[in-house]
Amino acid sequence: MTQEQLAPGHRLGIDIGGTFTDVVLLGEDGSVRTTKVLSTPDDYARGVAAGARALLAEHGLAPEVISGVVHASTVASNTVLEGLGARTALVTTEGFCDVLELRRLRIPVLYDIQYDHARPLVPRRLRFEVRERLGPRGEVWTALDEDQVREVGRRIAEQGVEAVAIALLHSYVDDRHERRVEEIVRAEVGEGVYVTRSSEILPEIREYERTSTAVVNAYVGPAITRYLGSLVARLGEAGIDAPLEVMQSAGGTLTPQAAGRRPAHLIESGPAAGVMACASLGRLTGRTQLISLDMGGTTAKAAIVEDGQPVRTSEYEVGAGINLSSKLVKGGGHPIKLPFVDLSEIGAGGGSIVGIDEVGTVRVGPVSAGSLPGPACYGVGGTEPTLTDALLVLGYLDERTLGGGAITLDRERAREALHRVVAGPLGRSVEEAAHGVLQLSVATMTRAVKAVTTYRGRDPRDFALCAFGGNGPLTGVEIARALGIRQVLVPPAPGVFSALGLLFSDSEHEVVRTLMLRGEAITPAALDAAFAAVEAEAAAHFADGHDGQPVTITRSADVRYAGQAYELAVAVPPGPVDVSALVDAFVAEHVRTYGHGSADAPVDVVSLRALARVERTASRRYDPVAAIGALPPYAAIRAVYFGPRDGFVETPVCNRAGLLEGERRGPLLVDEADSTCIVPPGCVARLDTYGTIEVDVDV
Amino acid sequence: MSEPATSPSVDPITLEVVKNALASTADEMALVVMRSAYSPVVRDTMDYSTALCDRRGRVVAQGLTLAVQLGTFPTVMAYVLEEFGDSAAPGDVYIANDPYGCGGQHLPDLYVIKPIFVDGALEGYAATMAHHSDVGGIAPGSVAVHATEIYQEGLRIPLSKLYDGGAENTTLFRLIEANTRQPIHVLGDLRAQLAACRVGERGLTALLERYGADAHVYMDELQRSAERTMRAELAKLPDGVHTFTDWIDGVGESPEPIPIVVRVEIAGDEVVIDFEGTSPQVDASVNCPVGMVRAACYCALRGIVRVEMPNCEGYMVPIHVRAPAGTVVNPVLPAACGARGVIGYRVYDAIMGALAPIVPDRVIAAGEGGPTLIALGGYDEERRPWGTTEVLVGTWGARATLDGLEGVSNPLANLANQPVELLEADIPVRMLRYGLEPDSGGPGRRRGGLAYARSYEVLADRALLTIRTDRRDHPPYGLDGAEHGAPSSNVVETGGERVVLPTMPMQASALVRGDRFTHVAAGGGGYGDPLTRDPQAVLEDVLDGKVSPAAARKRYGVVVVDETIDHEATMALRGAR
Repeated sequence: MTQEQLAPGHRLGIDIGGTFTDVVLLGEDGSVRTTKVLSTPDDYARGVAAGARALLAEHGLAPEVISGVVHASTVASNTVLEGLGARTALVTTEGFCDVLELRRLRIPVLYDIQYDHARPLVPRRLRFEVRERLGPRGEVWTALDEDQVREVGRRIAEQGVEAVAIALLHSYVDDRHERRVEEIVRAEVGEGVYVTRSSEILPEIREYERTSTAVVNAYVGPAITRYLGSLVARLGEAGIDAPLEVMQSAGGTLTPQAAGRRPAHLIESGPAAGVMACASLGRLTGRTQLISLDMGGTTAKAAIVEDGQPVRTSEYEVGAGINLSSKLVKGGGHPIKLPFVDLSEIGAGGGSIVGIDEVGTVRVGPVSAGSLPGPACYGVGGTEPTLTDALLVLGYLDERTLGGGAITLDRERAREALHRVVAGPLGRSVEEAAHGVLQLSVATMTRAVKAVTTYRGRDPRDFALCAFGGNGPLTGVEIARALGIRQVLVPPAPGVFSALGLLFSDSEHEVVRTLMLRGEAITPAALDAAFAAVEAEAAAHFADGHDGQPVTITRSADVRYAGQAYELAVAVPPGPVDVSALVDAFVAEHVRTYGHGSADAPVDVVSLRALARVERTASRRYDPVAAIGALPPYAAIRAVYFGPRDGFVETPVCNRAGLLEGERRGPLLVDEADSTCIVPPGCVARLDTYGTIEVDVDV
Repeated sequence: MSEPATSPSVDPITLEVVKNALASTADEMALVVMRSAYSPVVRDTMDYSTALCDRRGRVVAQGLTLAVQLGTFPTVMAYVLEEFGDSAAPGDVYIANDPYGCGGQHLPDLYVIKPIFVDGALEGYAATMAHHSDVGGIAPGSVAVHATEIYQEGLRIPLSKLYDGGAENTTLFRLIEANTRQPIHVLGDLRAQLAACRVGERGLTALLERYGADAHVYMDELQRSAERTMRAELAKLPDGVHTFTDWIDGVGESPEPIPIVVRVEIAGDEVVIDFEGTSPQVDASVNCPVGMVRAACYCALRGIVRVEMPNCEGYMVPIHVRAPAGTVVNPVLPAACGARGVIGYRVYDAIMGALAPIVPDRVIAAGEGGPTLIALGGYDEERRPWGTTEVLVGTWGARATLDGLEGVSNPLANLANQPVELLEADIPVRMLRYGLEPDSGGPGRRRGGLAYARSYEVLADRALLTIRTDRRDHPPYGLDGAEHGAPSSNVVETGGERVVLPTMPMQASALVRGDRFTHVAAGGGGYGDPLTRDPQAVLEDVLDGKVSPAAARKRYGVVVVDETIDHEATMALRGAR
């Protein structure tokens, strides 16, 4: 056995996407090994185990070297999107079984009178009302009728459901009725049925959002429980019995047991991993203000890292299609009001199809050609031009092979498609048309970035843009230019950066309590007591020890002006709470976000949060520079079209090692196995100490 | 395609980029209002709109808010340009709500508009409209149907400067504060509108700094592109004249029906919508200023056009609206307008009815009839006012290929409902029910959406209730042989008695502790012969309790026994009809 095979502390990151499963192994020596295998939708765990086996075999490693596995998966969101969740019943307060179906009424489009809704996850026939009622302060308006609840439990049992959600009015203030209903229903439906109580998953005011969150949790619960069980078993069969952790939508990880109880927390597991990777890169390299831009074949996702932390939100809808502005355009899907990394996702990727309508408007996406039929240049059936075709015509990409030789990019096919659909009808050259397609994609992605910056009162020029995913490095500088951003970062292995992020993500657990304190009720004593409770609960999550690392707790309060319906999160430093400092911080945040604020107006303290975190030490070992140094020398020249002003420019091409000797001026292309970083004329590229390409943008 | 479809000097790519930039700025303005507003009607119901206008006052982009309000901005902006077009200065902000002389809608709708200057030149406007929770008048909420002249409806604000060269008009602020029952809400929401205007100013300024004078070329092109698209679509429709009459039930204890008569004439690439024959204005507050009537016309035409176009007013150019003065669709002083929406929404229904024979596969049968307004309020033991205005919507009629929706806003509105838990936390009311009403959807091959029911119990000693409802005597029509939706109802239960309120009472109802009020809205109209509805779809509705087995048999000719279809009996029953 080599010394390496004996080395403990290798960590495995697994990111399951729709097409590929990315597997990354971070060695204790800081080395990174990666592989991509096809996803296996019938049982994703099979593909994961196969990928892990392949990677270990390729490098002659035994499964015992793996000391930890971190996993991100789209299983939860796919379960909702494909309508394959559990047959679920819902129990509500009498008079309110239709809250789930009446929703909040708004829809994400104007003028479309042929619009149709996403069906509620629980049909009306499986929604049951129980006789009880609490008031808004937890007072009992109608006592719980336990006999009637038992009768409801029996009727549910007859329906052969796999899951039950319970959501009663005002249970966020007092959960006694919900708890008792849970006991009775559990007794009637038996052990095998998955039960979610709204006051457990989301003790917050607003009945529709709380009910929907509980319903999503119940709906995906059985599938996630089965899936995680299968994953543990499959990894075990492959000899990997290291502890498994699962990425949450807010970043941070859960044990499989916790994930099984709260699967609604896993919905945006995969995209969150990319943002966490970005934040970790920032921590490693001393950058605190970053825009994360992850662009793959179908969508682009933007998020921001501020003061070193990913910005989070609690407003999210699953199954809403692709949302540009996650805040205003509501109503298309099923809300989950849990912590999420605040992502804006749009239908712009390499596969986005280019079209022109009858009045001459050019469009890119949101429909994607995917990998089948694929972009025209793939030659595997697709005939419509895509962004990838435009990038190939422009010379941003070369006629390389993909998927282990299965596909060779064909520039002539790309030119033909762009000519037929865009350049011909507009009377432009193919290059001009291709450049136009790039500009349009950039405009669309710019909206995604604005949705997480200017829409939230943040100036994108205060951030560096971290571009990854297969297509991020190709478009990053153009997006930066459109928004006045001065620096673009392209991390090593940009195509599997999200999977790497899994290994860097700290273990986190957040606890929230709704307090609804107003006016004179906002006292240091009340806040200190409530914080003590949430902090204790958050810390208890890590009570069973965690790599011997210390647990750190950060606190925040959700505050609003009395009368407002939306809160802003305000950080609260450790120690006794200083109420006036808290209010000052809120006013400052209100001014920053909305441009106005009043120091005198009364405020409500709606909720308190405590976030317990255990730092992941693996990131300290990460050292991709050695691998870059080991790359074979590579230099070439490619004709690249940088726009009508410059025309085609003979552009030097290198790999990342070509930047080791110092910075280089654009035009320059840095080719890698899974992407190409574009450095246009006027920009300057260099490597930082972690092998990240920094591009200074000429804005 | 034989020739380029856009003007030669305009780059279609840049055009799309400019359009995106304008649209995202208008959305950002809307977001700022939503997140920082105070009143439930703005922050939760989202009864407000935002727009960016070019230097000629034309709307070039609208936030994703209320469809119908996009159409009202042009009317207001025409007055703004007339009054201040030459004298506008940096730091000015205008405010208006008066339906007479400045394009207002009803008094609670406050327009706040800011001219935008770049390097000293007027380059455009940021415009916002929000429905404020109260501007005085005879009943809380300022939308009482029983007002008979506008002087009873609250504070009229002619087009005025809220800020003059950056200086706050403190007199006007104090006047507004003194004339509302909800000063904290109203002033808070005004601040939110001002913040949104600043965001609009920032966005348009950035665009001008990037593109310079070309920005105006592109904004003009957006207008032309929208106009071209609408003309091309209108040209595809057969020329001809189609008429339709829909009705408002009328006001008070013994209502007289109010006809909305519409004549739609399609000629080439233009359309004329004429309201000759519509009821004269009435002595109640349902009269609808012409701005909203125009807006409803624009929305109806936009709804049947199935192609995308820029969200700007260019598409309105080939749509001509003729509304005779002195009618309910173009009232004159001193007509009251607080509850004008009921007419505005009915105008949309009437036009859809007229368009149905022309584009049967693109129209929608009548829905709930537009928002029901329920204003409930009073004073607590310390004489502090409490109250809420509910703007309730929820049901669509059926379409040629789709059932009507439930749990949806009116196509003109995109409003949201107020969470029951927030409502109960804010005011002394207990909600008894918020749910769907079985058998209320108009039977058809495609079923109309079910009506919603909302029920309140008063937990204060006294409360005043004003309501604006409709669609009881004239329920939402069905199309193509379908039945209409079920009619609406308003019932107060007090001291063991059940009192049926008119659809639009001419006085507020005084309620006491323990009284209960239930509004059941109208159901959506169906589409197509109900006897041709897929029996499986009828069964699904029966299983979901949306259609009763009795109604399945009687209205659809489908026999459901023990949760399954009796196919033989169904065929026999349907065959016999």
